[in-house]
Amino acid sequence: MRRAGALAAIAVLLAIPLLTANQFLLHLGITVLMWTVLGVAWNLLGGYAGQVSFGHATFFGVGAYTMMILFLKLGLAPWYGMILGGMLAALVSLPVGYICFRLRGPYFSLATLAVAEIVRLVALNWEALTNGPVGLLITTLPRVGLGSRVLNWESKAPFFYLVATLALGAMLATRWLSRSRLGAYLLAIREDEDTAESIGIDTVMAKVTVLALSAFLAGVAGGFYGLYFRYVDPDAVFPIALSVEMVFIAVVGGLATVEGPVIGAIFLVSIGELFRERFLVGHLIFYGLFMMLTIRYLPEGIWGGLRRAFASHASA
Amino acid sequence: MRPVETFVQSLVSGILTGSLYAMIGVGLTVVFGVMRIINLAHGELVMLGMYGAFWSLVLWKLDPFVSILLWTPVMFLVGMLIYRFLLKAIIPGGELNTLLYTAGLSLLIANLALFVWTGDYRTIKLSYATLPMRPFGIAVPIPLAVAFGIAILITGALYAFLTRTDLGRAIRATSQNAEAAALLGVNVDRISMVTFGLGSALAGAAGVLMAPSLYLYPTVGEILVTKCFVIVVLGGLGSVAGAIAGGVLLGLAESLGAVYVSVAYKDTIGFVIFLLVLLFRPSGLLGVGKS
Repeated sequence: MRRAGALAAIAVLLAIPLLTANQFLLHLGITVLMWTVLGVAWNLLGGYAGQVSFGHATFFGVGAYTMMILFLKLGLAPWYGMILGGMLAALVSLPVGYICFRLRGPYFSLATLAVAEIVRLVALNWEALTNGPVGLLITTLPRVGLGSRVLNWESKAPFFYLVATLALGAMLATRWLSRSRLGAYLLAIREDEDTAESIGIDTVMAKVTVLALSAFLAGVAGGFYGLYFRYVDPDAVFPIALSVEMVFIAVVGGLATVEGPVIGAIFLVSIGELFRERFLVGHLIFYGLFMMLTIRYLPEGIWGGLRRAFASHASA
Repeated sequence: MRPVETFVQSLVSGILTGSLYAMIGVGLTVVFGVMRIINLAHGELVMLGMYGAFWSLVLWKLDPFVSILLWTPVMFLVGMLIYRFLLKAIIPGGELNTLLYTAGLSLLIANLALFVWTGDYRTIKLSYATLPMRPFGIAVPIPLAVAFGIAILITGALYAFLTRTDLGRAIRATSQNAEAAALLGVNVDRISMVTFGLGSALAGAAGVLMAPSLYLYPTVGEILVTKCFVIVVLGGLGSVAGAIAGGVLLGLAESLGAVYVSVAYKDTIGFVIFLLVLLFRPSGLLGVGKS
């Protein structure tokens, strides 16, 4: 039943570019899916391990810049750049984790915020590498042949399928994690870190591993951002708001679930983008508002709440 | 400029800015002490103070150093209302929940401001502030000097209030041990409400004082609140004296860093110190805070 539902959802998702050529709808779909990847990535660490990071923009930004710089300076194709960007983000996450995981609870959150700000300021000032506040721009993407046809970069469909694949991959990774031994360790850490340590779990190793996985996904999403928008600057990919948006999508959707961040992304990003289309600024009003409402009235998030409602309905 | 003058100049501007940082930091730390809330929306309260100063100058021709008399009590009220209607129900949920909740509040206030007031950068021009004073060849901007004086006055008054009055003692008692204070007849809920009001009033007043010296834009709170964390962690979370010292220290680190390290990286210095302190002296440099 659940499997059938999932397959149906995937089928509908992949059919969307065939059903509509409306550029705004496709753009909305791409944005929702990109934020899905980010929400899922954050959820691995924040939801399963209970480590609230306010600095995930770091990994997103590192991924975005890696892909841009490798393409512009070395001519490396963006799809390889995306993967390498993810790997570099995972590499960067090791010292970040080493420093920040010495702290717990809100102190961990503040430390990640500080790290992200340091990285943003470095990106802003290291002009030789990042071109500073001016940013990096891709003017033409490489030609890609598909059999006898050539991929049309002006169409949004290729981006849609690419990011849809990433989102599905990220969700599969979550599903795998939630059933793995590491996933069980993380839940133990979330519930009580001292107890987890006392029964022999290497808590530092578990946290560093999941942070690296989370950073990898965020980095790949960053690479996709660069490819899709063809422009990257420090204010676009390293701001505090970006870190916070990931947190909100995961929390509002439902922490420590495979589906939660997807629901959060569909809900918040759609509202936000529709508002932005009409009023240009202030679309994060709803992120803040729904975050407060979620914490107050629906601590398990939308998906958690729905699941509970279904469960009590089924048992009644 | 001779090296000595450069040094004294950055010392002076560091202390002037630091006094305002200290005021914001004290507000954050008092709230943390009593309620164990790390209020991520504290910077937005400063931002509201800044816009209060801006609009009362534009609409009513009120000088910021006069309108502070209006905005401080208004922000006190706003703070009490935020506590009563928004925060009170969340606090039992624990530190991480309140952290996420105030992050939401921060984003909500900042983006409402962005929506209503647009993202334009605004400045406050005062007729008497075109040229700085030059005592002993050191440039001292007049609005910053006045703000410094008022900041010392307000912070001093707060210190006296906390140490000399019954209400102030009740606040400090709650901060040290809420349960014991409750057993001795302190109404912890009322104290929390007053404390949040005080913290907000300090933030708002600091915003009014800073307005003539900074650019105003709706998301300015984001930068200020991160500076604030640096300050309170430097001084030890929950410690008023620590926050004052931390504020001045950050002001000095930034202005000396801009001269002797690099202008571009001056904002980085605070964060690096912040991480070092969090890692090696989590109870703050003065060792009086609670970690």
